[in-house]
Amino acid sequence: MTETIDPAKYLAAFLGEVPQGEPGNAMMRDRLKVPFIDTTAENVRRDRLETDEVNSWLDYAAWNLWDFILGRASEGESGLIPRQEYETLSFVQQWNTYPKFQKMLTDELGVDGLVELAKTSTREVGTKINVTRNWAASVCPILGRGIGIELEQDSADSRREDLESIIQYGRRLQNGTWGDGPGFVSARGFKVPALDDDVLMSLVDQAKPFDDPEKLQKFRAFNARTELFGFMVHYDCRAGMADTGPYPLPDGRVAIVRDHFLNETAYPWAGVAEGMPYCVTEVLIFPADKVGLVVTEIQTTFSEPSNYLDHLEAGVVFARDRIDTPMGELRVLEEEEMDRISTRCQKGTMEMYKVLAKKSHEEKIRDGVMVYTREFLLPHAARAGVWDKFLAEGFDTLHPNTEAAWPVLTSPRAAEILTPVLLFGKGFPHVSEE
Amino acid sequence: MSAIDATAERQIGTGIKAFTSSNGATGKIRFLDSPEEVLDFIDGPDVENTVVISRGGTTTFMSPALMAGVAGLITLQGAPESHLGILSREFGIPCVMSTEFTEGIQTTRGETIPADGTAVRLDISGDQGLVHLVES
Repeated sequence: MTETIDPAKYLAAFLGEVPQGEPGNAMMRDRLKVPFIDTTAENVRRDRLETDEVNSWLDYAAWNLWDFILGRASEGESGLIPRQEYETLSFVQQWNTYPKFQKMLTDELGVDGLVELAKTSTREVGTKINVTRNWAASVCPILGRGIGIELEQDSADSRREDLESIIQYGRRLQNGTWGDGPGFVSARGFKVPALDDDVLMSLVDQAKPFDDPEKLQKFRAFNARTELFGFMVHYDCRAGMADTGPYPLPDGRVAIVRDHFLNETAYPWAGVAEGMPYCVTEVLIFPADKVGLVVTEIQTTFSEPSNYLDHLEAGVVFARDRIDTPMGELRVLEEEEMDRISTRCQKGTMEMYKVLAKKSHEEKIRDGVMVYTREFLLPHAARAGVWDKFLAEGFDTLHPNTEAAWPVLTSPRAAEILTPVLLFGKGFPHVSEE
Repeated sequence: MSAIDATAERQIGTGIKAFTSSNGATGKIRFLDSPEEVLDFIDGPDVENTVVISRGGTTTFMSPALMAGVAGLITLQGAPESHLGILSREFGIPCVMSTEFTEGIQTTRGETIPADGTAVRLDISGDQGLVHLVES
């Protein structure tokens, strides 16, 4: 007999029981058998996990994903880029390929080296070694496990070792960013103040007040255009942007630090960004008494009131010219160069749009899988000097399970598979006692 | 002075506002259903006096319209945390998402939307995003 599910119940609360936000986080923490979402220097170094640890992590991740995705669950279709199709295929691809590549990277650096690498997120801006990747490198492939189970490619217990290694890979990155304590942003009050104070203040100290309305307008246009271009270059996903903060400042105000990645040379269409910096980093300063800010798991700012930019008081923009430009060579962008980049972003967005409009549906899905699968490992592998080795080992080759999932996940039947996985809490099935 | 000489209004659509602002948007409706239509549209007249409708809440599809400075955006799907919701906020373009209309014409998929050329006003100042028909 088919189980009848009331979707409204599952949209109102996780499993019809746990709310969104901080109350939901508190309720989930109470439910966990062991507090394994908290990382410690000891527990991120283990290679094997207890069943209760795995299942507690899975339970929390299931709620965390639901909480995160609810606001955009009905994002709907795109007339340009088939994002749902490529994202869900990427999850399957990641589940089937990430264990091998994450192990290669861990073997190269050692666990201590991996934790140390993740500390980059506390010392640098303009890098994709950041909190979004801490989350995506484990939650996304494990979501692929859930889809694979729904598609009967796997069972909940069929690849226990891979599951544990992916969980630990993500937890090691989280421990590198935050040290001991909660690893998920949802367990940290929906705040991402990742930068160390000295790094933050070296950026904030160069911010200038927007006392000229025209300057403010130009800054806002620069912000909007570079953000849109970042979305376009990264195939309509948020890999091209990353906010940290909010940071309370000594003068009583509050700052957000925002990366927009423009000239990512990893993709065949990189020429569209020729002449632009690898990343532009904005410091945005607001009056703390007028704007309440949160930053999500994938480093996007939301505010109360929602028109936060209307309250912008001061700011500055930096450029990191290449992916390997040292932090010490970060430079402040003057107005003239901001205008040039802003105009270039508009032109580049249109160029890319026209190219995408002519590409076939299948070609765009394949491009999207490449972007979405590369984005969560490439930054770390490149910094560790093993990216070429990844490519030589077939990183971009579609796994047979991904190919097998393609017809279903690109058809109207996808909703039958994905809705329970994404919204009804069925994406993170428990493992059994060994 | 608005591009439209408004004399009477009536609410015809309700949705979720992407962000709050006392500045609404007034313009004539244009439904865009393919990249080719988007490209044709931005090369045409009155872009800045147009409220465009798209089906989904993803951002890249509407990027030429965002950059061209349309008056407002309406989507039939999506939510404020959708990419288009985020980008409409950054561009400061009023946006009402997952909008349901009480009257209008039927799309090829059976959705009800105002016909192209219909004059509307978007109100994003309250709890919801509202679409009003402006009758001259």
